[in-house]
Amino acid sequence: MANTACFMIVSKNDIPIYEAEVGTVPKKEDAAHQHQFILHAALDIVQDMAWTTSAMFLKAIDRFNDLVVSVYIKVIHTRLMLLHDSRNDDGIKSFFQEVHELYIKTLLNPLYLPGSRITSSHFDTKVRALARKYL
Amino acid sequence: MEEYPEELRTPPVALTCVVGCPEVHGLITAHLHSQQPPINTIALPDFSKISVIPPKKPPRENSEHVGGILKRDWLSKHRTRIPAVVAALFSSSNVSGDPAQWLQVCTDLENLKATIRGRNIKLVVVVVSQAGHKDDMSEDRMIALRKRAEVDSKYLIVFVPDEHMELKQSLSRHGPRLCTAFADLASTYYRDEGRRVKVRLEKKSFSSMELNVRYCFKVAVYAEFRRDWPEALKLYEDAYHALREMVGTSTRMPPIQRLVEIKTIAEQLHFKMSTLLLHGGKVVEAIAWFRQHTANYRKLLGAPEVIFLHWEWLSRQYLVFAQLLETSSANGLQFPSMASVPADKPTEWEFHPAYYYQAITSYLKEKNICLELALSMSEDVGPIDGSAESVVASVYHGQFARLLEREDTYIMQSLTDDEYVRYTLVEGKRFLDSFEIIALLKRSFEAYNNLKAERAAAYCGFQMAREYFSLSEFSNAKQIFDNIASLYRREGWLLSLWELLGYLRECSRGTGSVKDFIEYSLEMAAMPETTNAVELSSKYCGPAGPATLSQRAKIHKEAFEVARGGSELTLKEQNSHLKVNSDYPLYLEIDLVSPLRVVLLSLVAFHQPTVKPGALSLLTISLRTQLPTNVEIDQLEVQFNQSECNFIIVNDQKPHIAAISNVQPGRRVETAPTLVLATNKWLRLTYEIKSDQSGKLECIYVIARIGPHFTICCRAESPASMSDLPLWKFENLLETIPTVDPGLAFSGQKAIQVEEPDPQVDLNLGSSGPALVGESFILPVTVASKGHAVYSGELKINLVDTRGGGLLSPREDEPFSADNLHVELVDISCHVPEDQSEAPSDNIQKIQPSFGLISVPSLDVGDSWSCKLKIKWNRPKPIMLYVSLGYYPQNGEPSSQKVHVHKSLQIEGKTAVTISHRYMLPFRKDPLLLSKIKSVPEPDQIPSLALNELNMLLISVKNCSEVPLRLLSMSIEMEENKGSCNVQPQHVFGEPVVHVPGEEFKKVFTIVPSVNCTKLKIGTVSLRWQRDSGVREQFHSCDTESQFMKHRLPDVNIELPPLVVSMECPPHAILGNPFIYSIKIYNHTELLQEIKFSISDSQSFVSSGPHSDTIFVLPSSAHVLSYMLVPLGSGSLQLPRVTVTSVRYAAGLQPSNTSSIIFVYPSKPHFEASDT
Repeated sequence: MANTACFMIVSKNDIPIYEAEVGTVPKKEDAAHQHQFILHAALDIVQDMAWTTSAMFLKAIDRFNDLVVSVYIKVIHTRLMLLHDSRNDDGIKSFFQEVHELYIKTLLNPLYLPGSRITSSHFDTKVRALARKYL
Repeated sequence: MEEYPEELRTPPVALTCVVGCPEVHGLITAHLHSQQPPINTIALPDFSKISVIPPKKPPRENSEHVGGILKRDWLSKHRTRIPAVVAALFSSSNVSGDPAQWLQVCTDLENLKATIRGRNIKLVVVVVSQAGHKDDMSEDRMIALRKRAEVDSKYLIVFVPDEHMELKQSLSRHGPRLCTAFADLASTYYRDEGRRVKVRLEKKSFSSMELNVRYCFKVAVYAEFRRDWPEALKLYEDAYHALREMVGTSTRMPPIQRLVEIKTIAEQLHFKMSTLLLHGGKVVEAIAWFRQHTANYRKLLGAPEVIFLHWEWLSRQYLVFAQLLETSSANGLQFPSMASVPADKPTEWEFHPAYYYQAITSYLKEKNICLELALSMSEDVGPIDGSAESVVASVYHGQFARLLEREDTYIMQSLTDDEYVRYTLVEGKRFLDSFEIIALLKRSFEAYNNLKAERAAAYCGFQMAREYFSLSEFSNAKQIFDNIASLYRREGWLLSLWELLGYLRECSRGTGSVKDFIEYSLEMAAMPETTNAVELSSKYCGPAGPATLSQRAKIHKEAFEVARGGSELTLKEQNSHLKVNSDYPLYLEIDLVSPLRVVLLSLVAFHQPTVKPGALSLLTISLRTQLPTNVEIDQLEVQFNQSECNFIIVNDQKPHIAAISNVQPGRRVETAPTLVLATNKWLRLTYEIKSDQSGKLECIYVIARIGPHFTICCRAESPASMSDLPLWKFENLLETIPTVDPGLAFSGQKAIQVEEPDPQVDLNLGSSGPALVGESFILPVTVASKGHAVYSGELKINLVDTRGGGLLSPREDEPFSADNLHVELVDISCHVPEDQSEAPSDNIQKIQPSFGLISVPSLDVGDSWSCKLKIKWNRPKPIMLYVSLGYYPQNGEPSSQKVHVHKSLQIEGKTAVTISHRYMLPFRKDPLLLSKIKSVPEPDQIPSLALNELNMLLISVKNCSEVPLRLLSMSIEMEENKGSCNVQPQHVFGEPVVHVPGEEFKKVFTIVPSVNCTKLKIGTVSLRWQRDSGVREQFHSCDTESQFMKHRLPDVNIELPPLVVSMECPPHAILGNPFIYSIKIYNHTELLQEIKFSISDSQSFVSSGPHSDTIFVLPSSAHVLSYMLVPLGSGSLQLPRVTVTSVRYAAGLQPSNTSSIIFVYPSKPHFEASDT
């Protein structure tokens, strides 16, 4: 389990549609409320790289001190972003893949409007369980 | 980077020394310096100065204590004071001079050798010769000199710098030799030195770790002197690793100072490595090294009281690396493409200095925090004792010592850790880092902006603004926060936006702006809730607090208390407050792009698209807010572009507050039972509204007043064109429609079209049925005022083809001419009343074929005016006539509306009459026309007429119109060769013939052709007619003209008939009375004609005469067959049929049935003449 991990899903028009602080409660107060800022700043790189690579999983695309941003880009340009300080690449990749599946299931829900905020508590619980499992 | 000494920052350059013969020093040093690689030179004018080269130290004892890792002056010593090569310069005159001079040369050489021997410095002997005396030198002396100097022959150089003109020549001749000698020897020297130290390393013959690092460093520097970069890099790395091992193992010094020293050396070694890597273009490796370097030392915080030193050191690492990266990228460094870098690759930002500048700031901030903590903990730091001032840098890198003055000499005394800590705290207090942080962030911010990375720049901007905020520079902070808030608003990053707005709210406290405070507070309160965000305790949040519903409600409450004037806004300045009152009213404006649309959204919809002036129309105002708790509005004002329609809605619950103070008298005031806005619920208010002014009535603003001095002016929006609220667009929100009627919610507009007032003027188009082609059709137009007076009236007339298109013939590209026009407006005639003498300039009259414009004189109520349009049809065509009257009901009021009346009428254009004709033979007379004998009649056969015989022409005229016509005359106009035929009569009707619709009017003409020709043009039937108006109306009498209608008769064939048979009998017969029935056969030919004839028996008559026979008719004579007939019956009886056949022409001549009928009276009739 990582010390800090902040997970976000960003829709294709750059709006965060899901966010969760997974992992233990951050210790250093300065960074804690800046996770959103850091992930937002990392979007610039994601934007550039999304067009230059065909890989979906981009690990460690941005660093902030000892925190690293990893991204999983979906075909429809929805991005799963994780800010973490662990080096467990395989775990992160598995985490992304499982969350991706979850997200697709959410998309299949006819009542869910694509691009809107995911408020399902089921989704939230599942994501947190996955985080505990893989990170 | 600038704080590093010069010798560290630049690569080392080989050093040589020249002694003696000062006159050529300048020449030699300049030349050496310009070499590639350059060689620095120490120039000593004479041999007594040789002592500047420091003598060799005694060799180190193994037991000797090692004071530090690197001596501070070692590098500069080797770069500026210890040469690799010494060149002894002797003038040739001295060398080959008298023994005393030679002896001096030898002595100097010996001294020099003694000095340099310990250091193993190489020697070169240069004999400076004069140009003219080159050959004077004795060979023996030269050999002796070389032996004494113990140098190889190639290092004994003769140098001839003599004449100015030969200078270059001499240099170019001797220069290469000189330089090669110097370079070779220098290289040898540094290699030897390096090897000597390296041997120690390899043998591990050093007593401590410090020496290990020191030796590695030295070998690396010697390698750098030789420009052997890979070797240098390798040894620096060795030194770095050896140093890393020292952490925690070395016990030489007090722990704090020991760590400081190690870090200082590590910094230098890393700097050297980074420089070498970056200059070698190995950016990726340099970044990897840097990352490893910072990772190695990041955790080595050191003792708690000096943690700030650690952060300072770390930030310096970033700064130096950023500067190195910047200078090397300025030299056109190519970043490798991301695709080819190995697995643990640097991120894209790590190639940009901006990334490092940004990172520094977080460490600097850490440093500040730790420094403050340390300062507060060490209370006794306050009074600066003198001991701190005397602390200076020690002889070793990274060490500090106290300088004690003892009897003319200075003694370095090492410090205890306590003393050192105190010293650093005093030093640390002297620097304020906030401005440095801002400067770095600004640099990073600009760099990211140049890279078009606005999000990364926004994060920098946020940090920068936060730094300004902590310095209480609120206006700077607010400006930056405002800039980046728009980005977060656009992309909907709620937590970040919440954070920013929290800072902005506090900034407005700092700048003393109540308006800003309220705006930011309301925006925060109306933000969507961020689900799944951690509940951080408020300690970890910014000034905004956690982004929870309760916090939003709290902010909402606070904002409204201030806005209503209930409480004061506490400012950042000491004891200062601001209160909203009559001196400081609060006015917020919300437009379509304002982020405050979530606070109050006002939609206005009229229920109808158009309304009559003065009529009532319904208007629905829908208000919605996303604020977390209810908002009660005291008073709403609705403003329109027609200010007389503005009205005010007062909250019935709060009549005492809503004492309408700022309402103009006469303003409409409505009362609503309650005006409370609940979260995300529409407040719908429907009122009637009336406008007297035609045009567009548009709702502009809905102004809400809350409390006595707080106003929100909200620009009205149409429900049909409402855009989504930006932040709430993707929230799970109960979507409700703004109006009760769903149709209105999708189509409602905030503007309504007020129509023109109803015209009270009649426009009559008098129509007298269809128009007839050819006539000038008169159409009376009457303008009759019923309720309005008419001023500046204008009548517009348009003729339009009912089937669309123009009134021209299909060939419209032909030049415009009246011939092409099917229908044209010819004239407009009107009565100008006698008593009104209008100025002629007022009488506009413009007539075009399909358009007319005429001004209508001013009419009072009840008056009328008329004009007549004269329209001419050239072809039958239906048209639409549009007549529109525009006028002002009041005179001279520019604001009054022009009123329009439109009328249209469809008019058919019809052909009045059709004329047909028919040729007939005379009664009971049959000429034999040979052309008629042809067996098959052809369809387009032209009619044949008999020459010199009386032919009949029957003209029939049919009235196709729906009105009676009056025929005036009919005639046949001959066209050519008068006398070719004789037409009788020319009819002019004395009394016009009234011709009713559908009736056929016939007239008979006789034609006697007198010319035998196959194509005779008979002429044209000309009919003069006019419309019969029955009663002679007054305006018809003068205007109705007679029209000519023409019909051309076709050509005829005239031929001479060879035989003509005519039948003669009385007009009537009486029963029982005999009468004579004779048949006359004329032979017009010069031939004897054989004629067969026969008579058929008839029951009605008894006949006497030949029954059948063959007779011969002589040329140009006639033969008569006579029969006596007695009628046996009465009535119309068929005479016995006589068949005449010409044998020559094989043609039978039989009179027609109609011509052989006779009426038989039973008895002799009595005809009485009467006087009627």
